[in-house]
Amino acid sequence: MATIEQNPGELSAVDLVPTRSGHDSHEHETPTGLANTKLAMWLFLSSDCLFFGAFIATFLLYKDRSGQVGPTPKELFNIPFTSATSFILLMSSLTMVLALAAIQRGDLRRFRVWLLATALFGATFVGGQIFEFTEFTRHGLNVDTSVFGSSFYILTGLHGAHVIIGIVWLLSLWGLSMQNQLTSADAEKIEIAGLYWHFVDVVWIVIFTVIYLIPK
Amino acid sequence: MSDSISEAVLERAEGGLVPAGDAAPARLLPGETRPHPTPRQYVMIAAILVVITAIEIGVSYLGGDIPNGLIVTLLLVMALTKFVLVASWFMHLRTDKPVFRRFFTVGVCGAVLLFLVVLTTLHVFQ
Repeated sequence: MATIEQNPGELSAVDLVPTRSGHDSHEHETPTGLANTKLAMWLFLSSDCLFFGAFIATFLLYKDRSGQVGPTPKELFNIPFTSATSFILLMSSLTMVLALAAIQRGDLRRFRVWLLATALFGATFVGGQIFEFTEFTRHGLNVDTSVFGSSFYILTGLHGAHVIIGIVWLLSLWGLSMQNQLTSADAEKIEIAGLYWHFVDVVWIVIFTVIYLIPK
Repeated sequence: MSDSISEAVLERAEGGLVPAGDAAPARLLPGETRPHPTPRQYVMIAAILVVITAIEIGVSYLGGDIPNGLIVTLLLVMALTKFVLVASWFMHLRTDKPVFRRFFTVGVCGAVLLFLVVLTTLHVFQ
């Protein structure tokens, strides 16, 4: 039987472990040759672009309709406040990728911290949105006040619902991690959740610009 | 036999095997062609996003000082830049297989085109 001569600093065969992404990966066993869950998420996100596009278009169509009762966007929008909540959502994308990088390194402690931070940032954003809705209602803009009110609440409310779903997803992953049911081998699950979370962020980038920042 | 070891290392480099332990380089996840960015790169991208957002907010307050058309153009360009940065770096479209990028591009461009046609037909931009 031959013996193995190993040079200093060179990896030995026992140091090497198969990964889920290697040649034995399940991704090559699918008909498409791609990871099914990732493909499904990208297809969902692609279709969700049309979903949000429909509501953004509806808002643009109705925001300046003449003869509307109730306050106008210029009277209502508090740009500094919405900018702060937008900043928080943007930072949640950073903590999300840091969580993914941590679990890929096998650093579960940092992974939990970053994942929980992401969920907390998301919850802060939703809290800000609830505060904003409360203020608008106090100033006389309800969902049935005008077509501007209807399209605004439906668009931003649906985005908020997406954020809430994301928070529940992240907290579920965090709970699994606390029960030691997530390891670095499950990094793909975190990446899929991350794709959803970042999508919610990019949709808000568009909503923030089109609805809040662009002047009439 | 050191050739066998070298083959194993080569196979690792091709994405089949990685060294065990926490100090291992980032593993390739399914559907990726290159490793993800480093945490330092993520922080740099986030810093760029913050700067662009600050400029966006500043530009939105210039109404009356510069033409509205210029403000709208600047805001849309900055929003597009942020969108592309998040999608390519945080959503890893830079390092994933091109087919994912194509799926997402078709969805985004299809939605923009469809609703631009609808809004133009309804004279929203006049």
